[in-house]
Amino acid sequence: MNEPLNKASGLTVRGIKKSFGINVVLKGIDLQVPQGSVVALIGGNGAGKSTLVKIIMGIYQADEGEIYMGEKLLKLGKPSASLAEGIYLVPQEPLLFPNMTVLENILMGFNEKEADLKKRLEKHMEGLGFNLNLQRKANTLSIAEQQLVEILRGLMREAKVLILDEPTSALTFSEVQSLFKVVQDLKQKGISMIYITHRLNEVFEIATNVAIMKDGLITLEGPVENFTKEMLIRGLLPDDAEMRDDGSGNYKAIQYEGVEPVLKVRNLCGYGFADISFDLYPGEILGIAGVVGAGRTELISTIFGRDKTLNGTVELDGKDITGYSTKQVLQEGINFVPEDRHYHGLFKIRSISSNTTSALLGSKEIGRIDMNRRRQKEISQKYVDDFRTKIVSLDDLIGSLSGGNQQKVVIARSLSTQPKVVILDEPTRGIDAAARADVYNIIRQLKEAGVAVLMVSSDIEEVVELADRAITVFQGRINGEFQHDEITQDVLTSASFGIKNEKAVEQ
Amino acid sequence: MKNLLKARWMSSLIFLVVLFIITGIVDPSFFKYSSIIGCFNNATMYTLLAIGIAFVIMTGEIDVSIGATLGLTAAMTGLIAQQDGSVVTMIAVCIGVGALVGLVNGLGVALFGVPSLIFTLGTNGIIRGLIFLVSDGRTVENFNGTIGAYGNKVLFAEITLFYTIAIALVAIAHIVLTKTRKGKYFIAVGDNAGGANLVGINVKSTKLLAYVLCGMFAGLGGFVFASKYGQVMTVAGNGYEMTAIAACVLGGISLSGGLGNMIGAAIGAVIMASISRLLVFIGLPPTYDNTITGIMLIVIVVVDALAQRRSIEMSRRKRLLSRTATSATEGGLEA
Repeated sequence: MNEPLNKASGLTVRGIKKSFGINVVLKGIDLQVPQGSVVALIGGNGAGKSTLVKIIMGIYQADEGEIYMGEKLLKLGKPSASLAEGIYLVPQEPLLFPNMTVLENILMGFNEKEADLKKRLEKHMEGLGFNLNLQRKANTLSIAEQQLVEILRGLMREAKVLILDEPTSALTFSEVQSLFKVVQDLKQKGISMIYITHRLNEVFEIATNVAIMKDGLITLEGPVENFTKEMLIRGLLPDDAEMRDDGSGNYKAIQYEGVEPVLKVRNLCGYGFADISFDLYPGEILGIAGVVGAGRTELISTIFGRDKTLNGTVELDGKDITGYSTKQVLQEGINFVPEDRHYHGLFKIRSISSNTTSALLGSKEIGRIDMNRRRQKEISQKYVDDFRTKIVSLDDLIGSLSGGNQQKVVIARSLSTQPKVVILDEPTRGIDAAARADVYNIIRQLKEAGVAVLMVSSDIEEVVELADRAITVFQGRINGEFQHDEITQDVLTSASFGIKNEKAVEQ
Repeated sequence: MKNLLKARWMSSLIFLVVLFIITGIVDPSFFKYSSIIGCFNNATMYTLLAIGIAFVIMTGEIDVSIGATLGLTAAMTGLIAQQDGSVVTMIAVCIGVGALVGLVNGLGVALFGVPSLIFTLGTNGIIRGLIFLVSDGRTVENFNGTIGAYGNKVLFAEITLFYTIAIALVAIAHIVLTKTRKGKYFIAVGDNAGGANLVGINVKSTKLLAYVLCGMFAGLGGFVFASKYGQVMTVAGNGYEMTAIAACVLGGISLSGGLGNMIGAAIGAVIMASISRLLVFIGLPPTYDNTITGIMLIVIVVVDALAQRRSIEMSRRKRLLSRTATSATEGGLEA
C-alpha cells in the first residue's frame, strides 16, 4: 500500500470511498488491474464488490478517489463516460433488451453504420469461435448465451477493461468451461479483466491476480501464485475471528434425545434448490449459511408457500404440509420474518400497534368488524416491553423507528400468532450493533419459549453466535451439516464457498 | 414476408378487417368505398394522438394529459382564427404549446421521478383549467372560414388532406423509431432501462424527448380538431387519452414498454375511430362507445400483462433451475 502505484498500463483505482446515507460501503479502495491481467475480486456478501465495479462503470459516483487508465485520470460518473474509456461491465444478471434480437442488442448505442458494425461483430465472433443466431430474440437465450452477448457488446466497444460480475453463478459446468476459454483468449489479446466470484477454485483456474475485499477495503492483494486456497479463506474471515466470543460461554446444550422434530424436510426440490433434507427441533436455532444466490431464500420461500414445490415433502408435527399456500402454512403455525422489512414486512404508514397485530387481523383475537383497540394495544405493549423496543407511543408510525426497532416489531408480529416455527431471513441486516444484541436476545428468548427457529444468515458470525446446529447451502444443495461444537467461522466460510474442509484452517 | 406475418400489428390488421366484415354482414350497405374510407378519415385525430403517446408508452411511461392538450390547442387555434391569424401561426402555436406541456410532463416524470400516471393527471387538471381561462369558459366558435376549408378538404380518392399528412407522419415516426440510432433508444429504454443506461443511453433525456414529441402531436391534433368541427367546447378532447392509449394497445404496443411500433398504433387508431361508426351500422346506440372502449382496453391490457408476467416467471424459474443443475455436474470441491 505504501509503495507508489505503477500506473504505466491498465486500470488503476485509488482511494475510492463511497457511502449510502450513513452506511459506509467503500472505505478507500486501491486496486490495480494491469494490462492483460485477470484480477479475481473475492469477498463475502456486502463487502462492497458490486459497488466498486458500479463506480468504475459510472453507474454510481464515488464520494472520493481517482481512477486512472494508464497515466490518464478519468472523469467518470456516467456509463457513457466509462464506455468511452473502454470499460465494460458484464453485470451479474445480464441486462439485455429482452424484446430485441441479438444483433439489435449488441449494436444498440453505436454511431457507425450497421453494415460496418456487423462486419466487425462477425470478426469478433469468429475470433472467439462463437456461434449465435443474430436474429434470435434475447428473451429466448440461455443465461450463458446472454453473457456471451454481453461480452460481445464489450468487445465491440473495443473494451480495454472488462468487468465480469459473478459470471458463472448461473452457468452449467460445460458453459463455465467455454466461458473460461473466452476469458483466456481475451487475456491473450491484452484485455484486462476484473473477475468477481464466490468460487475460490475459479480464482486459481483463470486469474493472474487476486484481491480480497472485506468491509469496504481491499485487505489482501497480489499475484495468484502467492496464494493458496487456505490463505484466501483466512483472508475472508473477519479480523477478530479468534478474539470473538462465539457464544459458547453461556450456551445451554439442547437435549435432542426423545424429542420429535417439529419440522421435517425431506428431499425438497424447488426453483433454485434441490434435494434439501433437514430436521428442526422445538427450542433450537438451526442456522442456514451460504453465499447470496445459493438458494437459501428460495428454499424458505418455498417452505412458506410462496413458490411451487417440485418434489419432496415438508412435515410439521407429523402433518404433511407440502405445497400448502402461505395462508395455510401460517395457520399451521409457521411464521416468517422476511429479509427485506420494507418490501415484505412493514405497513410503513400504520402505527406500531397496528403493525404488531396485523397478523391477527384474520383471527377473532382483536375483533372482526369493530376492532378492539385496547386489546391491540395490550398485545403490542407486551412485546414492546419484552423486546425493549424504543418507542414514544404505540400510535407512532412504524416508519419513524430505527431499523433495529422496526425489526423488533416485525418479529413481535410473527410471534403474536404463537407459531411453532419461526423462519428468520437475515434477521439483523442493516441493523446497528446495539439493536443487534437486542435482536439476538429476542431470538434466544424464542428458543427458550420452545419455538423452533430456522435462521438464514449471510453473517457467519451471527450463525456462530446463535445457532445450535447449522447447515450450509452451496449452489442449491446442502453441502455441510454441523453440530454446535463443530460450528466455527472457518468451517462455515469454507463450506459456504463450496470447499469441503473437515478440519479448521490452521491459524 | 414471413416476418411481416409474425409482426404484432398484423393481428391488429386482421382484427380491423374482421370488424369490417362483421359490420358488413349485419348491414351490407357498409360495404361501400366511401363508408370504409370514412372510417380511415375519421381516425385522423386519434392517429396523431396515438403516434405521440406511442413514443411515451414505448419508454414504459404513460401520458393522460393529451386529451386536455388537444382541447387547449384547439381552443387557441379558434381564438387565433377569430383574430384572422395565419394558419402558420396556428400550427406553430399548437406545436409550441404541446411541446411546452410535454416538457413539463417530461421534467416531472423523468427528472423528478413522479409516477407518470399521477403527474400527467395533474397536468391534465391544470390544462383543463387553462382552457377555461383562455376561452372565458365559453365555447370558442364563429371563427373565420380559412381553416374550416382545410378541415374536410379531400386530397384524392376521398382521402382527406389531414389523414394523408397523418399517414405521412406515421411513416416518418416509424422510420425514426426503427432505423435511426436515437429512435431505437425509445424502445431500448422501455425494454430495459437498466441495460439502456449501461450501454450509455441517457434514459432521462430519452423519456423527456418522448413527452415533448407526445405533446407536439397532441397539439397538431388540436389544430385538426378546430378546423374539422369549427367550434371548440371547453370539454373538447375529453377522454381522447383513453382512446389513444387503447389504439396503441390494440396495435400491439405493450403498456410495459419496449414492444410495438407505429404502424400498429395507426391501425389501432382506425379501429378506435371505426367502433362508434360500426356500432351505428350494427344498430347499437353510440352511447355504448366509451363502455366498449374501456372493456377492450382492460381485456387487452390484462391478457398482455398476464402473458408478460408468465414469461418473466418462467425465465426466473429456468434460471434458478440451472443453478442446481450446475452443482450436480460439478460436485463438491476438495480443499
